[in-house]
Amino acid sequence: MALPLPPGLTPAETAFLCEMEMVTVIPRQRLEGLELLGGPIPPLNPPYRTPLPLWLALLLKRQRRANILPPPWLSPPSLHSILDFEKSTPSFSPPPPLPPYATTSPPFLPSATANAPPDALPYHWLELGEMLLEAANDDIPEPDNVRRLMRDLREVRMAKMRAGVGVLEGGREVNMNGVGGMEVAEGRAFIGGVVDGLRKIGASKELSRREREAEERENGIGGGEEDEDDMDI
Amino acid sequence: MDIDDILAEVDSHAIPHETQDLQELTRAWVTERSAPELLPWPDALMERTLERIRRQVRHPPPLAPSPLADTEPLSIKIELVEEQTGNTDPKANFRLIIIQTELERFKYLVRSFLRARIAKIDAHALHHLTDPTAKARLSPSELQYATAHTALLHAHYHSSFLSQFPASLRRMDDTAGGISMVEGPDVDKAVFVRALRDVDEPVYVDGTDTAFEMRRGDVVVVRWSAVRGIVMAGDAELI
Repeated sequence: MALPLPPGLTPAETAFLCEMEMVTVIPRQRLEGLELLGGPIPPLNPPYRTPLPLWLALLLKRQRRANILPPPWLSPPSLHSILDFEKSTPSFSPPPPLPPYATTSPPFLPSATANAPPDALPYHWLELGEMLLEAANDDIPEPDNVRRLMRDLREVRMAKMRAGVGVLEGGREVNMNGVGGMEVAEGRAFIGGVVDGLRKIGASKELSRREREAEERENGIGGGEEDEDDMDI
Repeated sequence: MDIDDILAEVDSHAIPHETQDLQELTRAWVTERSAPELLPWPDALMERTLERIRRQVRHPPPLAPSPLADTEPLSIKIELVEEQTGNTDPKANFRLIIIQTELERFKYLVRSFLRARIAKIDAHALHHLTDPTAKARLSPSELQYATAHTALLHAHYHSSFLSQFPASLRRMDDTAGGISMVEGPDVDKAVFVRALRDVDEPVYVDGTDTAFEMRRGDVVVVRWSAVRGIVMAGDAELI
């Protein structure tokens, strides 16, 4: 009964999460609006574009009731320029800009609709691109090119993940801005394991430091001396 | 309250309640799946969600040309529709498929959330029954489950081997020698965090020199104990 999975989303769960992303659909059939558990679904009137969650868009697409309008970043020119950018820096390319007055986060950002910014990879770029290439191959311009560029991007970014392992430390935070959902799911076990392992190695040092600090606080001495305490191992 | 808060409120009012609840539930699920320790039980949210699922199962939205009464359970309708495939209106049929698919997605979310919690309760049952903060995070039925499960386990251990031990060694929650037998979760485990708002105060990692700032959208890998407060305040989420 208890979930037999380790902490952290698995790739399958990440894909499930990705299916909540909104995409733009061009219906080929009429469908009245529906009241669903997660909010109302607008009525579909061909040929008007309608935003729908990905799972529903895929359902409609598989039954040939609609076409999916791929997000602007899923096109050869956009992917090309993002790939060039990725090759030029050691960090991930920046994610799309966030709406200013809200705390919404992926998968509930409009980062995969037809109005999404064309020059940035959203959080679920890999999963979303793969799913669209699989189910809506005919709606994507130059699908083979897109597939090839996606693979290149993935390799470049995976190489960065691997190179980033060198900066991992037990006590410090590691910045991973721009990382994708599937990349987190893949790298979590390794990165988490390394950070946890290094932390355990440094645990006794940390403990003695904590004790010393507590002592200093008790004695009323402003703890300013930080000798022999760098955490690099 | 400054202008940003007011705008944020206006903004969130534009989203229907159902969608807001879906977003909250999704975030709760991801956080619960990723955090090393049990998080507070989202009482109001779960009640609303379960009630909505119950309603959807019992009274699905009226199907336009349906020959059936609205009061019948969805399952009966589905069976009937399945039986009549071919001679019912294919449109009504398809609407049912959409409703059923969404319902299954919701049920999966709730189920996975509850099972993730049970896994944590099982792993550290005694900790969740003895530690007051941990105990306060259990829902009533989880508390009942943990209590009953621990009692059964104790009785079983006792009858199979603990009764052979000297009386002083039979306890499961011994604290002799300054070390408690009751193990809690490892709160220093590394987690992936994403900031949802700018965090004003720098985040300190206990016992090290590390202090860092978090801006909205930042993703960092850091130990859970350093960001626990921020995540529980809703300023950041686990991914």
